[in-house]
Amino acid sequence: MSRVHVTCTINGDPAEFLCDGGQTLLDALRDEVGLTGAKEGCGTGDCGACSIVMDGRLLCSCLVLAPEAEGTTISTVEGMASGDDLHPLQQCFLEGAALQCGVCTPGFLVAAKALLDRNPDPTETEIRYGLAGNLCRCTGYDKIVRAVQAAAAAINES
Amino acid sequence: MAVSVHLSSNLRGPTGGLAEVEAEGATVGALIDDLDQRYPGLGDALRAGVSVVIDGLLIAHPEYEPLADGAQVYFVPQTAGGS
Amino acid sequence: MTVTEPKPSYKYVGTRPVRHDGLEKVTGRARFAADLNMSGQLHGIVVRSPHAHARIVSIDTSEAEAMPGVKAVIIGDDFPAVEPGHRQYDMCINVIARDKVLYEGHAVAAVAASTRDQAQAAAAAVKVEYDVLPAVLTIDQALAPDAPVLHAHMMTAGANPPAEEPSNISNITRFSGGELDAGFAEADLVIEREFTTQPVHQGYIEPHACVADTGQDGHTTIWCSSQGHFNVRSSTATLLGWETTRIRVIPAEIGGGFGGKTTIYLEPLAVALSAKAGRPVKMVMTRDEVFRATGPAPGTKLRIKLGVQSDGNLVAGDAYLIYTNGAYAGPGGLLGAMTVFESYKIPNFEVEALDVVINTARSAAYRAPAAPLTAYALETMLDELAEELGIDAMDLRLKNAVAEGDPSTMGFPFARIGFVECLEAVRDHPHFTAPLGPNQGRGLAAGYWFNIGESSSATVNLNEDGTATVVTGSPDIGGSRASMALMAAEELGIDPHDIRPVVGDTEAVGFTDITEGSRATFATGMAVVEACRKMVVELRGRAAKMMGADIDDVDWVDGQAVYTGSDGDKDPLSMAAICAKAKRTGGPLTATGSLEAHGAGPGFAVHLCDVEVDQETGVVRVVRYTASQDAGTAIHPSYVEGQIQGGVAQGVGWALNEEYIYDSDGVMENPSFLDYRVPVASDLPMIDAIIVEVPNPAHPYGVRGVGETGIVPPIPAVANAIYDATGCRLRDLPMSPIRVLEAITANGGSNGS
Repeated sequence: MSRVHVTCTINGDPAEFLCDGGQTLLDALRDEVGLTGAKEGCGTGDCGACSIVMDGRLLCSCLVLAPEAEGTTISTVEGMASGDDLHPLQQCFLEGAALQCGVCTPGFLVAAKALLDRNPDPTETEIRYGLAGNLCRCTGYDKIVRAVQAAAAAINES
Repeated sequence: MAVSVHLSSNLRGPTGGLAEVEAEGATVGALIDDLDQRYPGLGDALRAGVSVVIDGLLIAHPEYEPLADGAQVYFVPQTAGGS
Repeated sequence: MTVTEPKPSYKYVGTRPVRHDGLEKVTGRARFAADLNMSGQLHGIVVRSPHAHARIVSIDTSEAEAMPGVKAVIIGDDFPAVEPGHRQYDMCINVIARDKVLYEGHAVAAVAASTRDQAQAAAAAVKVEYDVLPAVLTIDQALAPDAPVLHAHMMTAGANPPAEEPSNISNITRFSGGELDAGFAEADLVIEREFTTQPVHQGYIEPHACVADTGQDGHTTIWCSSQGHFNVRSSTATLLGWETTRIRVIPAEIGGGFGGKTTIYLEPLAVALSAKAGRPVKMVMTRDEVFRATGPAPGTKLRIKLGVQSDGNLVAGDAYLIYTNGAYAGPGGLLGAMTVFESYKIPNFEVEALDVVINTARSAAYRAPAAPLTAYALETMLDELAEELGIDAMDLRLKNAVAEGDPSTMGFPFARIGFVECLEAVRDHPHFTAPLGPNQGRGLAAGYWFNIGESSSATVNLNEDGTATVVTGSPDIGGSRASMALMAAEELGIDPHDIRPVVGDTEAVGFTDITEGSRATFATGMAVVEACRKMVVELRGRAAKMMGADIDDVDWVDGQAVYTGSDGDKDPLSMAAICAKAKRTGGPLTATGSLEAHGAGPGFAVHLCDVEVDQETGVVRVVRYTASQDAGTAIHPSYVEGQIQGGVAQGVGWALNEEYIYDSDGVMENPSFLDYRVPVASDLPMIDAIIVEVPNPAHPYGVRGVGETGIVPPIPAVANAIYDATGCRLRDLPMSPIRVLEAITANGGSNGS
């Protein structure tokens, strides 16, 4: 089977990779591009651990075929910080102890950023529904929701 | 060392149902040997995997634990955990 | 936080610094097992049984071995034979079946190929001929007189008279105290109730994964996600028949465990494939495999009878508990028996517990194993008794709660425990008296878990600049590295961020038991404290040399050596100053602590839950939740709260949604997060965690384990709240919308209408 050549933009940089036609974008990001921040928790789009943003849309990268990334702009958790400056969400997750094992954390951060990008001042309920596609089994979500609230406040103040 | 031995109810077969018996031993291992002399079969039951509680401390592997005269020794099932 | 007694004023213990491993985890750089890749690595896939119970007639791997990219195929016969009676027989034949498969998803072979697709294709080409046997899928089927017997060697342990024929009952546990009949005769009110519950999964988000690299020298290195890498080493050695020294296990970051990663599945297969192929082999389970082949918690049938006097004194309790442990002997019933009556003073009691095997995946530990189910039964029955007697549910519990000196079910008197304090903390919380809305109800429930100690090791290395590295053998599944750093900081008197806490591999630190039984911060913390105290003695000695003083005239205060002798003034020496001269004063500064921890303090929790029930659909929403728990001393309060909140969320899922569903052949019908629905953020409210601190007298900082108790009360708390909202008692889990709606309908429509 011949490999497919994909050209796209990942975290602001031009990127190219070869993939199999049936490979998921998640596998291509992890195995071909070397970005292992997105995780596979289920492979069926139910857990959100593989969340990325592609052309402005929050997606489970396990449900996208890698060749579909051709010409798109992709952001992953690895692109959230600017150099040493963490995104306010990352900072608030750290300070608010909003992670335990941390395997769902990249997906939550990407999904929360997508939420705040379209709704900068969400209510608690909007945060809970905005993150309902992401499973966390450790935290009970309490500190995650509070961290997103804190990050929204920090972004709106700045 | 004379000590008071308390057996959880699942361990009382060899004692004919007695919950509390007297026995001697400078360590828990020696105590079990003595108990086995007094109540044949109890030694096997106790060596098969029990913990003891002495002075409020749960000790999971007590064979060489020293005993003071008059100690109260509680034999309980060995426990396992999950997180 | 509720602090019950004065404690030393700690500088670092009890503060909330950012965890040391946090930055890597919020930037996506943390390396979990599936993130690791080795040069030249192959991909391993497990061939699994489609049948719940079958004899393996033959396995033909020839076609698979000839397929493109395939480098190795292994089956059970490639491993040393094991016989019943072997200490780890169950583990061995669970990792890879030998003559029989015992559940759908049981591993029968494994394949390694250059790509995952090639390995999958080859796995599908392994031909296994089965002689399908009737499957035993429920407790009733397992106990039926003519039931197929899963294990021809299984003689019931604890049977009286001793078992003479094999059966599906692995173990019977009996506890008793007082005189049961006399106790019930003293009672003014007696109720007896039956409950059923289904197996549930721990639901960690990271599937099991490992990489094994076996060299030509016969040594292997395993990188894996587990709660205990020393256990991975010993179990792998046992299964392969190898010496321990041939196996090095390096812990990767672990993406959740909750007990489910205390056993092993993939590692020996990866090592064997790697040895056969001469290449590193990576194995990662799919979610489907995780559900079918790993760790459910037991399902149960429970029958409990309670007797109480009109003033609320509990006088008698009789419990008959049956736990399924999947296809192998397990401790569910034993642990249920040890916990069912443990929280209350019940002078006359009998408990009989059966552990039963059925043709489902081998059960693994799940947070306070067995206790949430006995609590479901007992705590909902206490509510019934309270209502019938006209006594407040809180008062009934306060009246009967065990305290220091009261005898446990197993006879010994409790040391200092914090159950009453947890009850009072909830009683005094604003939630307790807050008004409820329409269709809402409130439920109260308590929970208990005994916690364990076991073996732990720690090494403290001081670095050239006066910072410290603390190496332990406990995989960090909930923030324990931060706790280790805080305890070391308190002992050494330096900032927690000048300490690097590390989980060392099996060749870098002393033996350490699994992170289980809420033991890491308790027991491994004790090892860290021991190592640090040795280090302080060493530092005082080094400082004494530098000062020209006697060690007895040098104290360690706030991270520096202070001269206390009478030979004039001497400047204090900082850690950095002492480290800078280490070569001249005796060499590297290293200290170790290794111990078998005694005195794990029992943990108690009390939860208060408000639900709103949709009377049209039966959907239950948790709308407010408050949880108190005795942590002894909270080393890092944020992560103590996190353990409590996480336990609540899992318990709510267990109460309302989660269950394994099998078809009549024993094939799991809901092996995905779509059909096995765990709580999401929109299912839950904020969870108000109240940390109660009744110090554990056996720990230098008073720590009690906090990882497990929090999952014990939620099921009965939710059930009691549903009753309060609907007037319906639900005694079968899960309390799903269909069950709630049926109960409401049977009860004559919505409450009060």
